[in-house]
Amino acid sequence: MSEVEKYEAVIGLEVHAQLMTASKMFCRCPNQFGSLPNTNVCPVCTGQPGSLPVINKKAVELGVRAATALNCEIHSESVFARKNYFYPDLPKGYQISQYEKPYSTHGNITVRLKNGEEKRIGITRIHFEEDAGKSNHESYGTLVNLNRAGVPLIEIVSEPDMRTAHEAGQYLRALHSILRYADICDGNMEEGNFRCDANISVRLRGAEKFGTKVELKNINSFKFVEKAIEYEVQRQVFAIENGEKIIQQTRSWNSAKNVTEVMREKEQAHDYRYFPDPDLPKLVISSSWLDQIKKEMPELPHQASLRFKQAFDLSDYDASVLTSSKELAQYFEKVVAQSKNGKSSANWVMNELLGRLNAAGKEIDSSPVSATQLAELIQKIDSGEISGKIAKTVFEEMFATSKDAGSIIKEKGLVQISDLGALEKAVLKVIESNPSQLADYKAGKVKLLGFFVGQAMKETKGQANPSLLNELVKKLLDR
Amino acid sequence: MLSRDEVLKIAKLARLTLTEEEIAFYQKQLTRVLGHIQDLNQVPTSNETFVQHVPLDAEPFREDKAEPFANHEGLMGNAPAVENNCFLLPTIVEHS
Amino acid sequence: MEFGTQTIEALLSGYQKKEFKPSEVIGAYLENISARDKKLNSFLQVRAEETMAKAKALDGKMGEAVNLPLFGIPIAVKDNFLVEGWQATAGSKVLSGYVSPYTATSVKKLQEMGAVIVGKVNCDEFAMGSSNENSAYGPVRNPWDLERVPGGSSGGSSAAVAAGLAAVSLGTDTGGSIRQPASLCGLVGLKPSYGRVSRYGIVAYASSLDQVGPFSKTVWDSARVLEVMAGFDNRDATTSKRPVPRYTEELKSNSKRAFTLGISRSWLEGVDPDVAKSFEAALEAFKKLGGKIVEIDLPHTKYSLSTYYLIAPSEASSNLARYDGVHYGYRTQNAKSSEELYSRSRGEGIGREVKLRIMLGTYALSAGYYDAFYLKANQVRKKIQEDFEKAFTQCDFVATPTSPSTAFKLGEKTDDPLKMYLSDIFTLPVNLAGLPGLSIPCGLDSKNLPIGLQLIGKPFGESDLFAAAHSYEQVRGVFPLPSIAKGKG
Repeated sequence: MSEVEKYEAVIGLEVHAQLMTASKMFCRCPNQFGSLPNTNVCPVCTGQPGSLPVINKKAVELGVRAATALNCEIHSESVFARKNYFYPDLPKGYQISQYEKPYSTHGNITVRLKNGEEKRIGITRIHFEEDAGKSNHESYGTLVNLNRAGVPLIEIVSEPDMRTAHEAGQYLRALHSILRYADICDGNMEEGNFRCDANISVRLRGAEKFGTKVELKNINSFKFVEKAIEYEVQRQVFAIENGEKIIQQTRSWNSAKNVTEVMREKEQAHDYRYFPDPDLPKLVISSSWLDQIKKEMPELPHQASLRFKQAFDLSDYDASVLTSSKELAQYFEKVVAQSKNGKSSANWVMNELLGRLNAAGKEIDSSPVSATQLAELIQKIDSGEISGKIAKTVFEEMFATSKDAGSIIKEKGLVQISDLGALEKAVLKVIESNPSQLADYKAGKVKLLGFFVGQAMKETKGQANPSLLNELVKKLLDR
Repeated sequence: MLSRDEVLKIAKLARLTLTEEEIAFYQKQLTRVLGHIQDLNQVPTSNETFVQHVPLDAEPFREDKAEPFANHEGLMGNAPAVENNCFLLPTIVEHS
Repeated sequence: MEFGTQTIEALLSGYQKKEFKPSEVIGAYLENISARDKKLNSFLQVRAEETMAKAKALDGKMGEAVNLPLFGIPIAVKDNFLVEGWQATAGSKVLSGYVSPYTATSVKKLQEMGAVIVGKVNCDEFAMGSSNENSAYGPVRNPWDLERVPGGSSGGSSAAVAAGLAAVSLGTDTGGSIRQPASLCGLVGLKPSYGRVSRYGIVAYASSLDQVGPFSKTVWDSARVLEVMAGFDNRDATTSKRPVPRYTEELKSNSKRAFTLGISRSWLEGVDPDVAKSFEAALEAFKKLGGKIVEIDLPHTKYSLSTYYLIAPSEASSNLARYDGVHYGYRTQNAKSSEELYSRSRGEGIGREVKLRIMLGTYALSAGYYDAFYLKANQVRKKIQEDFEKAFTQCDFVATPTSPSTAFKLGEKTDDPLKMYLSDIFTLPVNLAGLPGLSIPCGLDSKNLPIGLQLIGKPFGESDLFAAAHSYEQVRGVFPLPSIAKGKG
């Protein structure tokens, strides 16, 4: 067994997701990204003397939606607590969060792995908190912008149930998908509204005790998650094999060097002095409110998958791929709505589009081929204007240029030939040019039908309607 | 008696630089007050972790409506140092 | 007319009858401030020109606006309230020069109803103190005896009204900071029930205990200010949605009720003899009105000091963490690291008593101590609440002297924080239980210093409190003012 196989990784993820509300968590500032520094602020989120927090009701609803979608237990009473520490982007000198009594605990999410298996990952807890501002460290000092301070967050803490970087990646994707589907979070990692930290340790397979864990921060894209985790796991394994002790520390992913590096030399244990925030009453989530939130829950990925399966007669696998992201599902539905051909749409999206998008490193929302364009292509196949084979060529060109199928077909003269007269001419020409094959065919070598069809197709530059051609060749040969 | 180290530890947690005189003063006064409050140990109490002081008819929620605050100049006007409309700390802050 | 000695009621009546105009009244008060405040040091900021301009504007509006409930009334506001455009130092060096970017809800309501702010007044730093000797801007002196303290932390608010520099003032009360200075200066001081008045815009000391309240010369004046100021505020999640009664109207209709007062004799040990005598006389007056006195037991109030001095400093240590020199306030020079920036700014900018309480609170919340200190104190707090609930099944109010002594001399208790804390022995439990408490002058001691009677009411029972105090006030007669108030420095 290799060194790495001797060990297993133990991975837990903490995700901070910004909630899609109109205003901040505890004040009336707009919840929006990208304003000029310190223009999206007020006395409350800048911690002015005398300011007080008031809870954003919608933020609580979205948080409860998330907990419901993640099968969590939702507590009818929970408490906001102050987490006290000093940092420039924390204007009050404390963050309003939840500590001993979060609003939800004990949930789970089922993820699909690449080997087709499903794994259930536990969710320890989800709680509300407010986001901090941003500090930019320049050579001459630190600049603090409080626009982001006070934005509503939920922190989703997983059980340390993941054993490979792949599982961690799938967990994140599944979580991301649920939050997007349910209109809870925008999920834009680059804009910072879906952030992930990982806690990683390793131990010998079969061992009961956990190893020393290292916190990995700064994972700000899906691309890096698996790479970073894999690197860290390997780093720890090699360290242990070399007789080194794993130091409990915080590391960050350096995407330029493809390594994890130490962020903080010594892990200083913070004494946050948590206590219930005396400016806020208990958070009460009544059962009637909970019922209402459940009723208003948007469609979740697994529900969309089931619906696609039934509506478009798809396999489990196909349905789950097409609903793996909300954007993709919406794209697919748009294609079907226009083309009216579920199976074909699924086929084209999954087998032609996705592969090319992956290779080009693009997401569905930057697809060079729009849903309407793809639908048109499918319609042209179904109407007989072009053959399926030709369509593939057309699609290649559509992906490269974003042009409509119609324009490409016209430019390249690829319209399928269905005119019997023209086809007959071509077939007769081929028959005449191949007398010995004709004789062999007549003598009983019926397999040569394929040869004649192939040649006739070549003669028509591949534009012959395949089924018509096939029929015609047979008819003319048997004459 | 609270030790000098303990006083310094508290002062560090609270981000308070103290003079020698202050350290001695706080050592004495904190010890006195903490001594006095030991009387609470005489009171048998239950295990409640949350004592309600807020009126039961208080309203913890507000509707999710954005209302931008108008007086930004007022907020920035009290800042000790500003650069590009950001609060400026003229020291290197350690990553945290 | 000597405007400085008038009640709100009298001023409003005069305005109605067109006997005088706001600019005359406000002008007179500004003159009083100018002439007398050097001796008292109660004002930290006066903006005479702006104030006179506002008063003159009101002159012009006498037609429509004269019916506003606080039309043309000069008020002083404690410097821990934020009022847009005015300073808010909270008596601290750390907020020196801070200009408020917004206005506290309670003040806004008064302004909208015609009140005119004549100035921001001095207080103990961050409202922590019982003598106004903890201010970074110098102590305030008691108008009754300039060698003595006015009480605290709202010493400036109290002295200003007692000396005729404002008709009414606003203070805050966390452990007695309105009632005790009212008692020491011969005024009516009210701490409403927790959640009755918005705390939005008040520099926070202890969030679960702080309340806003008025200083006035009469009960009616106090009722008038409260009915304007009180009520639900959607910017303060701890305010009650309970409707606000028309206290001044109910005052009249309630006046004849005979009330039952509860006294806890054991609790009253250790009170100055003059204070005890005055207190007994007040009880007699209530009996003559048809009231009853019953003995009640409040077994846990003896733990009030310990409970308060764990809860308040703990909350304060967190509330004051924002004073770090980063976004506003005092910043030290030449710090070489961020830790130094914070620690020296706070170390240099914050005063001795406040730092003591911050340290106490930090300790009480720290790892390993939370259960034994902060949590335990809150559990005992509940017991104190329950003691009062039980007492209120036997009486309408609990009565005590407001303070165990009258005004003490400046410097007398400053070396001994614990000794100073004992000034609040009767007022602390009221904040811990969230109840309304009113202090009304009931006598003078042998040194001609005011003594106060405290009535503690049921939750949101301010109406009854006013009624009882008003009845007493009628039989007690008009309470004297210090000579400085009558223009005889």
